[in-house]
Amino acid sequence: MAKILIPTALRQFTEQSDAVEVSGGTVAEALGALTERYPSIKKNLFSDQGKLRSFVNVYVNDEDIRYLDKVETKLEGNETISIVPSIAGGSAVLEEQTAALTNDEIARFSRHLILPEVGMQGQTKLKNAKVAMIGAGGLGAPLGLYLAAAGVGRIGLVDFDVVDVSNLQRQVIHGTKDIGRKKLDSAADRMQDINPNVRIDKFDTGLTSGNALEILKDYDIVVDGTDNFPTRYLVNDACVLLKKPNVYGSIFRFEGQATVFAYEDGPCYRCLYPEPPPPGLVPSCAEGGVLGILPGVIGVIQATEAVKIILGIGDTLKGRLLLYDALGMKFRELKLRRDKECPVCGDRPSVKELIDYQQFCGVMPMSEPVVSSGVIDAVELKEKIDRGDKFVLLDVREPHEYQIAKIPGSILIPLGDLGKRMGELDKDADIVAQCKSGGRSAKAVDLLKQNGFRNVRNMTGGITAWSEKVDPSVPKY
Amino acid sequence: MIEIDAKAWQTMVLHAERIYPSECCGAMLGKTGADAKLVTEAVPLENSYAGAQHDRYELKPEDLLAADREARERGLELIGIFHSHPDCDAYFSETDLKNSCPWYSFVVLSIQKGKFDHANSFLPDMDQTAAEREEMKWPKS
Repeated sequence: MAKILIPTALRQFTEQSDAVEVSGGTVAEALGALTERYPSIKKNLFSDQGKLRSFVNVYVNDEDIRYLDKVETKLEGNETISIVPSIAGGSAVLEEQTAALTNDEIARFSRHLILPEVGMQGQTKLKNAKVAMIGAGGLGAPLGLYLAAAGVGRIGLVDFDVVDVSNLQRQVIHGTKDIGRKKLDSAADRMQDINPNVRIDKFDTGLTSGNALEILKDYDIVVDGTDNFPTRYLVNDACVLLKKPNVYGSIFRFEGQATVFAYEDGPCYRCLYPEPPPPGLVPSCAEGGVLGILPGVIGVIQATEAVKIILGIGDTLKGRLLLYDALGMKFRELKLRRDKECPVCGDRPSVKELIDYQQFCGVMPMSEPVVSSGVIDAVELKEKIDRGDKFVLLDVREPHEYQIAKIPGSILIPLGDLGKRMGELDKDADIVAQCKSGGRSAKAVDLLKQNGFRNVRNMTGGITAWSEKVDPSVPKY
Repeated sequence: MIEIDAKAWQTMVLHAERIYPSECCGAMLGKTGADAKLVTEAVPLENSYAGAQHDRYELKPEDLLAADREARERGLELIGIFHSHPDCDAYFSETDLKNSCPWYSFVVLSIQKGKFDHANSFLPDMDQTAAEREEMKWPKS
């Protein structure tokens, strides 16, 4: 007979016996005999699946059975068996446990699982991966759809924008029914529909120097789907400081770029572009246009890179800038190297915390007033026209934009041609410059004033404001 | 309800303050009465956690076995386990919960800047998914 010593806490189940004599050839049999005699002790020692609970250690004499033959440890019949809980703890945050795949997930991801490069191990990595997506727009659309579909377990979405009808030509994660909704909500709904197991953290904010480190620190990989230089530099610097790979993509008209920055020993965005371009030199998609399919191609490349990094397979774009030309249908590659003098990721970095990226990129705050005497708004322009004032309404947009919509009576000289066609205008004339939303026309006003035009004003809000405030029959684009 | 007598309490607090800034741990022995557990003796045990001990502890099963044996020999019961949270509240952390055992009371002492600050007792459930706060009395002198 072996003797099982009963811990004080369990004696309530053994009629207060502190030791119980049982027979059995193995530890399993001895414990089986104990639970047969005192059934109510069973759930304290065994899980519903019949396994010893994780906190239960069993000792035969002074030996832990984990180092013998576990529950199959043989008994001679004169041993003392002790039941000892394993106890630990502390104020430390528990390392997150690796979540295993459920049977539903095994069915869902079967086409991944039969790829030896992915398999159960890879799909489990995807499930436990955390990816931050900056922007739920053109690039964010394919990214969100495919990352959710691929089984990435946790996705952080950062976006503060609302779905507009002009987004739908390329932002395929949103639908017509979503116009006016937050992109965060619309994207999250669609992603959750594709894969209900994905956990989506919504950050209803723009990424700023104040919140970037706090938001991004919990993720393994950052995917940049932004459309402006200040945020691009911000994402880059935050990724370098947090040592997280930055999967980069950008699009313009018919061309796109993609690479992986700040990954292992590779370069960062500042190694490629140490200084931002002068403000206004590179137009945004809203100003310059973009082929709707283009962000699909680039976003899918970014999603592929993110998944490869998670799985640890293949060759990433680290150190290679992939250039895509949709019109020529060509892919090219440029080699990138980490710059030892880079102010962020170089050997002696000078940027050790996030800076003011609006200022770095020379972007004026939106509220900065243009010289107020030099502006006129849509309603004032309408009154001016109705009064029959003699003046020139100078439209500085591109000819194809002029074809979409124009204000009656305007003449067209695109901003790019203004330098050489200035002679067509009278330096003493009353001139109002106008474009789509007021940016290019402000530059036209500057240019004309520098060249001796005395009476030039900028129309704030451009033809968009005209359409909103004066004549809704003029289409907005 | 768990009640800790003055002598046991003094042992626990002194031990926790002495081991600060590491986490301390130990066993509480006593008797289970009709409506309260009474702790009459605290036994400091070694923190055997292999890594940094400022926010982790681990009890050696042998030590626990010995404490249970000692209690048994002296007609006492092993009532619970105590440990400290240096510069941290006396809450039952996820780490505490996932490494707990439902058979005992778990007393957590908050030690702030080397001095005892406050304490709580917890009763974890069988599946290590939740812990209930247990009413606790100690000599507040």
